[in-house]
Amino acid sequence: MKRFLSYFFIVFGLAVLWMSTSRTAMQFVATHRDSEKWWGGYPCLHGDLVSLSYLDIVKRFNPPPDNTESPRPPWSGPRTTRLYLHGDSYTYHLPDSVFAGLDQLVLIDRNHGINYHLDSTKRNILLLEVSERYLRPYFSGLQMLDEVCDSAVKKKNLAFWATADNMYSASIFPGFHVDDLFNKYINQNLQCNLFNYNFIMPMFESKAALNYYVFNRASGDVVISKDRNFLFLKETVSLTDAGSSYSPVPPDDVTKLVNNFNAIYRHYRKSGFAEVYLSVIPNSATIMQPQGYNNLIPLVQNDPRLEMKIIDVYNAFRQSPKVLYQPGDTHWNNSGKAVWVALVNETICKSK
Amino acid sequence: MTFVSLQFLVFFMVVTLWFFRLQNQRARVWLLLVASCYFYMSFIPVYILILGGTIVVDYFAGIQIERSGGSARKMWLILSIIANIGALAIFKYYNFFIDNIHTGAHFFGRPLALPLLRMALPIGLSFHTFQALSYTIEVYRKNQPAERDFVTYALYVMFYPQLVAGPIERPQNVLPQLKEFRAYNWDNVKEGLARMLWGFFKKAVIADRLAMAVERTFGHTSETSSAALLLGAMLYSFQIYCDFSGYSDIALGAAKVMNIRLMENFRQPYLARNLGDFWTRWHISLSSWFRDYLYIPLGGNRRGAWRRRLNVVIVFLLSGLWHGANWTFIIWGMLHGLFVLALAGLGKEALAPRRGLLSVLKISGNFLLVTFLWIFFRAENLHAAFVYIRSIFSLRGGANYISLNPAELAFAAVMIALMMVRECKRPGHFIVRDSLFWTYTIFMVVVCYYLGVFAENQFIYFQF
Repeated sequence: MKRFLSYFFIVFGLAVLWMSTSRTAMQFVATHRDSEKWWGGYPCLHGDLVSLSYLDIVKRFNPPPDNTESPRPPWSGPRTTRLYLHGDSYTYHLPDSVFAGLDQLVLIDRNHGINYHLDSTKRNILLLEVSERYLRPYFSGLQMLDEVCDSAVKKKNLAFWATADNMYSASIFPGFHVDDLFNKYINQNLQCNLFNYNFIMPMFESKAALNYYVFNRASGDVVISKDRNFLFLKETVSLTDAGSSYSPVPPDDVTKLVNNFNAIYRHYRKSGFAEVYLSVIPNSATIMQPQGYNNLIPLVQNDPRLEMKIIDVYNAFRQSPKVLYQPGDTHWNNSGKAVWVALVNETICKSK
Repeated sequence: MTFVSLQFLVFFMVVTLWFFRLQNQRARVWLLLVASCYFYMSFIPVYILILGGTIVVDYFAGIQIERSGGSARKMWLILSIIANIGALAIFKYYNFFIDNIHTGAHFFGRPLALPLLRMALPIGLSFHTFQALSYTIEVYRKNQPAERDFVTYALYVMFYPQLVAGPIERPQNVLPQLKEFRAYNWDNVKEGLARMLWGFFKKAVIADRLAMAVERTFGHTSETSSAALLLGAMLYSFQIYCDFSGYSDIALGAAKVMNIRLMENFRQPYLARNLGDFWTRWHISLSSWFRDYLYIPLGGNRRGAWRRRLNVVIVFLLSGLWHGANWTFIIWGMLHGLFVLALAGLGKEALAPRRGLLSVLKISGNFLLVTFLWIFFRAENLHAAFVYIRSIFSLRGGANYISLNPAELAFAAVMIALMMVRECKRPGHFIVRDSLFWTYTIFMVVVCYYLGVFAENQFIYFQF
């Protein structure tokens, strides 16, 4: 029996390690688990941070009713503008109808890069929407720049010894990468495969409740705001993360960002876009807890070297008397979305 | 793959069960070597090339040292030392060296732009290079025969429980154990698992909880009150102890489960009554390494008082540098050396009975001194360290917020007290009765889960 059990656990352990490493297997799991109620994930509808911290029991973080609708702009002219929206989860589910005078809204998933065939009979506009926490991690690096730089620059930037991250994904032989074997997210995947089941959730919730009611804090990657009314993602408030509203911003970082944005801007203008806009959505901590803010957005937006046009969400949000974020979510609420849509419409209309 | 992660738990389960299913030692050595490679590569895969390079050099150097005589013997030892220290110099100290040249050149009005190495420090580099060095030195001293089997030698350097943060082992202790087939031993399994749980407790429940307060005080020095800063520094003393000794407990426990006994790395260091005593209890494998391979060859205390003092300062200076390429570590090591010398007279009675008010005062005083010195170790740079110290002594007001509410702070204090008492009164981990072992196991798993702070914090000593 002991022998059987030990072989069983060896095979089980290897299988779960393989499954949590394999991207294909995890994609399969993610697709199929969502449709299974009995073993699905945490069924929380009150925000991604509530879900992440298992704090559904704390009603304080439930979003208040917000029926604000993004204004549907009256438009009588010809619909000739094609808006390419390169965004993230803030803008994934926006309908065409909220934008003024659009012929078509093309949503571009950041993970799949920008593949486009411009229709020269239309007025093509590229809008890069990025949340503040991705601004430095994404645009300081090479991911976006790769698509716009010429091969010489690309080659230089991708030198084998350039960064540890590059080495991490260095190719051993064609078609096989080291990170196929060593998945950076294996612990999250293991947690998903081993523990994220509805029937185990009470255990997670009881730990979260203990931390909240006794130690006055949220679990894991979530932090409670100073006024205790909001949840923030830990990486947006730490002193060290590049995505944080409070980590120092060295001048070199700003220069690098500005240079990269300029390179991107020139490339896409040259490719045929009538205009390229950047719109940075502030972290909720930036607006809701501004004391100690590192001023990343104003530093980049107001840099005189920046060529790219800006849709200034930061100042609009700061000046708004309304609460624009959900208390238990990384994202804005309907009011926040409406402010952003109005700004985009104003910009599109003005530039016609 | 940090020890406090699901990946490690599954990995450890698979490797250990598989280890005991194999009925010959050769297969077990291969299994452990492959597992160790996977373990190391899970951090940054390509760095295994650096580790592999030094292993190959030291393996052949060991054989050649044994075979050769006279000056050739010494040349092979020097080659091994150059290979190991060279790897350290390039990957750990090169940028520090160049930065200082830049600063110096700038100071003299002749700015330079020498190229910097843009790569992260290979995990545990200082640990495994020192362990490899101890092998060639012991072969040179004829205390250890050269290992002919490459796989066994590679496993000696790469054995995963102690690969990235020690203990820095000696070949005489580990190599014979890797060659001997030892049958499954339930008592060792119990002791090893109990020790691992104790390590998880120290890391997840105490160290990572205290890390929140320490990050706050060291990150917001300018706005925090003196009292809170002093508390933050004291909490850091316990954080680093629970973090590093917790790691060592897990390492020693994991090895013990597989019938391999590694050397002890800690012996209640905060009960030391002076700094000299402290260094016989803190990171024992490193301090004994420096004693055996540096202090004694330099002449130790055999060449007069002044030479002894110089040797002590050299050893502590290099010990500081070993920890990291930053002036904070160098100053930290140097101050330790100077205080050890300055307070040497107080160490005479280190072996006297540990009772009475005087003893308590000495232990407390030594703890405060160690805490003061840890500030250099923890600070980002020298300026930050001096600001922190000045802020403590300015006795100013300010924010008392340290990320932990009073309930959590009190809880942390109770946990620290429990840990200290337990380690003092019952340092062992073997539980005779199975029922008691299972009760302890379940209790500790529940405690670690509910009271642990799981923020994916790396062990502090991984960076070295």
